[in-house]
Amino acid sequence: MSLYQLQKLIYHVNRDAAQRERYRQDPAAFIKNYELTETESKAALDVDVRTLYTMGVHSLLLRPFSLLHKLSNEDYAKALKGLE
Amino acid sequence: MSIVFACAASHAPGMTAWTEAAPKEQADNFLGSYRKLGASLAASRPDAIVALTVEHWANFFLNNMPSFCIGRAEHYNGPIEEWLRIPKARVPGDARLAKEIIDACLDNGFDPTFSDELLFDHATFLPLHFLNPNLALPVVPIIINALTPPMPTAKRCFAFGQFLGKFLEKNQKRVALIATGGLSHWPGEAKHGKINIPFDKKFLENLTTGNYASLSAYTHEEINSEAGSGGHEIRTWIALAGAVQSWKADLLAYEPVVPWATGCGLVAFHQ
Repeated sequence: MSLYQLQKLIYHVNRDAAQRERYRQDPAAFIKNYELTETESKAALDVDVRTLYTMGVHSLLLRPFSLLHKLSNEDYAKALKGLE
Repeated sequence: MSIVFACAASHAPGMTAWTEAAPKEQADNFLGSYRKLGASLAASRPDAIVALTVEHWANFFLNNMPSFCIGRAEHYNGPIEEWLRIPKARVPGDARLAKEIIDACLDNGFDPTFSDELLFDHATFLPLHFLNPNLALPVVPIIINALTPPMPTAKRCFAFGQFLGKFLEKNQKRVALIATGGLSHWPGEAKHGKINIPFDKKFLENLTTGNYASLSAYTHEEINSEAGSGGHEIRTWIALAGAVQSWKADLLAYEPVVPWATGCGLVAFHQ
């Protein structure tokens, strides 16, 4: 479990246009810069909102990250359904 | 010179990113009031804006999270969110005023960090978009950690505001003081969309009646459970209340806008 690294990855993609561009060109290569477990890598690459949320990714990292992947408010809410 | 304008305002990104998702009446009332407040700000002829604000992982991460950080940059770029529907721009800073505030902090028992490079996210950019639409006025951002615990207490935020108000009253510049954030919201959480109207109304009542004892007494746990992770941003409003204690507060708008997932408030203060 390396929540710190996982959140750091999302922080960099969200805040920095240049890093975001590198991430978009090759997400799999980009995330190798972070010390992630296989499960974390998969959740990040799949933008698996539910798993990332359950892993403890801060909601204000996760929602903007999902917005970069054009996830609508409805689909975001659907992904977290039952976790209240 | 002095503080010539003061207001507190919410900054839900939906206000610009998905404006039309909100019921038209709510959106028109809230955003119309926001723009009118911008006209009042301009009419007060300030030299600079001091913004009691927050940030959402735009600058700071868990490797280094300040409780209070004062921006001392010559300019600020933003917004970082490409989905916000606010054009990217460079906002002028007021490095000189920032330095004066930082020096005064250290002389008066406050030890903020300072930064010569900060990015603005919607927390600061969205209020500027409505209150200072041509982005002409220089800004000094004062970021309060309302993002991740441990955060400064309400009492400390109020005391900081008290200090800031006293300092600005003696400063040679005409300052517009704005606070941004809140009210109740659970952004990005499973409870996203929940709004606690009774909490918001009580908070607004405490603010507009000058109930400083109650404002200073909000606890982290109370805010967290009643107003959500986004509700922690009321710390900026509490600091503002400390800064303009002799002023009267008028509630201009309160709209619990479900599609914006936020209890949206706008309060103007006047002498």
